[in-house]
Amino acid sequence: MTQSHRIEGGQIDRSKTLRFTFDGIPYQGHPGDTLASALLANGVRLMGRSFKYHRPRGPLSAGSEEPNALVELRSGGRQEPNTRATVAELYEGLTASSQNRWPSLRFDAMGINDKLSTFFAAGFYYKTFMWPKSFWEKLYEPIIRRAAGLGSVTREEDPDAYDKGFLHCDLLVIGAGPAGLMAALTAGQAGKRVILADEDFRMGGRLNAETFAVGDSQGADWATATVAELASLPNVRLMTRTTVVGAFDHGIYSAVERVSDHLPTPAKGKPRQVLWRIYTGKAILAGGATERPIAFENNDRPGIMLSGALRAYANRWGVKAGERVAVFTNNDDGLRTAIDLQAKGIDVVAVIDSRDGGDLLPGIRHLRGADVIDTSGKLGLTSITVRQGNGRSETIALNALGISGGWNPNVNIHSHHRSRPVYDPTIAAFVPGQDGPPGLLVAGAAAGQMSTHAALKTGRDAAIAAFDLTTVPDLPQAEDAPVKITPLWHVAHGKGRAWIDQQNDVTVKDVQLAKQENFTSVEHLKRYTTLGMATDQGKTGNVIGLAVMAELTGRSIPETGTTIYRPPYTPVALGPITGPGNRARPLSRSATGSAPNGFRNRAKPNGGSPSTVRFLPQESPSASATSRPSARSTSKAPTRALSLTGSTPTPSPRFPSANAATA
Amino acid sequence: MIIHHPILGPRDAQEFVYLGDASLIDRPDGMTAGVDAFHDYLYNRTNPAGEHQELWYHEQGDRSWLVVTRNTVTHEITKVELARDVARARGRTK
Repeated sequence: MTQSHRIEGGQIDRSKTLRFTFDGIPYQGHPGDTLASALLANGVRLMGRSFKYHRPRGPLSAGSEEPNALVELRSGGRQEPNTRATVAELYEGLTASSQNRWPSLRFDAMGINDKLSTFFAAGFYYKTFMWPKSFWEKLYEPIIRRAAGLGSVTREEDPDAYDKGFLHCDLLVIGAGPAGLMAALTAGQAGKRVILADEDFRMGGRLNAETFAVGDSQGADWATATVAELASLPNVRLMTRTTVVGAFDHGIYSAVERVSDHLPTPAKGKPRQVLWRIYTGKAILAGGATERPIAFENNDRPGIMLSGALRAYANRWGVKAGERVAVFTNNDDGLRTAIDLQAKGIDVVAVIDSRDGGDLLPGIRHLRGADVIDTSGKLGLTSITVRQGNGRSETIALNALGISGGWNPNVNIHSHHRSRPVYDPTIAAFVPGQDGPPGLLVAGAAAGQMSTHAALKTGRDAAIAAFDLTTVPDLPQAEDAPVKITPLWHVAHGKGRAWIDQQNDVTVKDVQLAKQENFTSVEHLKRYTTLGMATDQGKTGNVIGLAVMAELTGRSIPETGTTIYRPPYTPVALGPITGPGNRARPLSRSATGSAPNGFRNRAKPNGGSPSTVRFLPQESPSASATSRPSARSTSKAPTRALSLTGSTPTPSPRFPSANAATA
Repeated sequence: MIIHHPILGPRDAQEFVYLGDASLIDRPDGMTAGVDAFHDYLYNRTNPAGEHQELWYHEQGDRSWLVVTRNTVTHEITKVELARDVARARGRTK
């Protein structure tokens, strides 16, 4: 099959072709692709079914925040469920399959849940399966358990090894976007021992997905050159495919390195994954930001994705998500997507901008003060309904829609010591608050500094501040556009469902129900609706959920507040946590097992007296038979002890056990 | 956690065994103190949310006993002393 949706450009190696299968159907991609980008390049938008309603879903994002495109990778003992297709690196012979569907992804019998959604509102289980009480254990729970869960776990032994490692450094830089690269370069040139870790297989962060220039070159090329410069410094260690997952006490961070996940089988002597414990003097969080969608009716169809993801697929992977594309935005960043896509020759049919007034984009149909109010297309987007500023609605046929609701700084790791993020109205998002982990500085978009220039500058400044440096590298020229956003969290229209948390199928209605039942605190909202409690920890959905709650209760967003995050930043497999001993079975030795016998056999030649073996278990059948009554008598012992204490004078409450013993 | 051992420098807390409240150093004199004093010594501990002096045993190191002053809320360690020195300062041993 040809790659029907591949366009020119991108950071993929077109000289090589990789073959892979998804649900048994063969496709082709290139080195540098993720599973999601390769599937999109082949025109495949449908990649999964949602958790609760079994709605058809495609990728929402192009990164680790992905809530929808969860697949099973590989087969046999190496099968791994619930893997995000957006971060799964493509390799020759990769086999992937969809999950949470039966009998097939296109026709899923459990899709009936979607029709019955009226009954499956938040708190459904708690309210419905209460009576009769005895039914819970025998009837309700087994049925619910069978319907719950996503992927399946292999029954075979994992053939691969996992490892743990320890690293020490003066500075750990988390994230290798413009801020992280600049921070690592500044500290690295000053001779500090630096570790630069990035979850992606290609460093550069957002620069890889943008068309901006940094200095005299394209952002992606600047990143490549900077990485090469860092690699030439002996005091800098570059770690790709390494996610820093948690901040712990006294500057210790944990990170998971996926050493072999991008290979069919690990190289000889190499583990699949390594859990690193990194001891740091200082750390800089340069984890970037995650775009959030806007909630409107049926905003979860395959083909609807974050505007930044749409742009990333086009710019980084040379993939168009559709032939006819529209963008729905409340901020200037969405306009960039429209401009970039049009420059790539993709037909941008409309930009639906929820903000009133302002300049119009030249050469693109730019609707101001308009909203997307509905979409259609069962297994993939076919059209959207737009409500224009004058109140007229219009249906536009297309097959991809980018949504931009603004960008949320990735404050997660800064929150791991319970620091609460604070709301910054200028970017309409939460930024790191006070009392983060000691020694952790935040730079770039993670600190709410959204422009490339600000990222480079704050990255450099953080490294300077960490070590009081005097000689520092020059800053390259870069764009410094301000964030222009008018918050729009959800489009109030119609009676249908508008998704907030796509992974856990939490809709605006569920938040309304939580409000109606007085679960108005964000912590209650989270637990009652399961908002943000899926494996993505609500990276795309949380802020919308609490903003909708703020709207409903008439409070401001700072008054409503936000929940915080806990480790791990992204899901971690059990393998690296278990570590190198994963094939050592715990030895279960019963009383008649081999260890005591071995001891006795050794004791005998030494002329051990009968008294030394008397307390050791016997192994002859008759002996074990006689041991049973004694076991029973020991089980009676507590009763006897109780009656003893009862018959003695009331023991002093201070030394009860001493009195019982003397009695 | 990292404990700055007064002799060995920064060591990972994994090398240590935690014993608890450093008041265990102040054992009452069995000849003069009453049962109440011994009972308090044996069973009663303060459980502060904040600074706390506690005993750590460097089992996988030099096997010394340390008195670590740690904030139980933030895990910040402000002071680490050899238990021997603390005990001597309190007139416990030679």
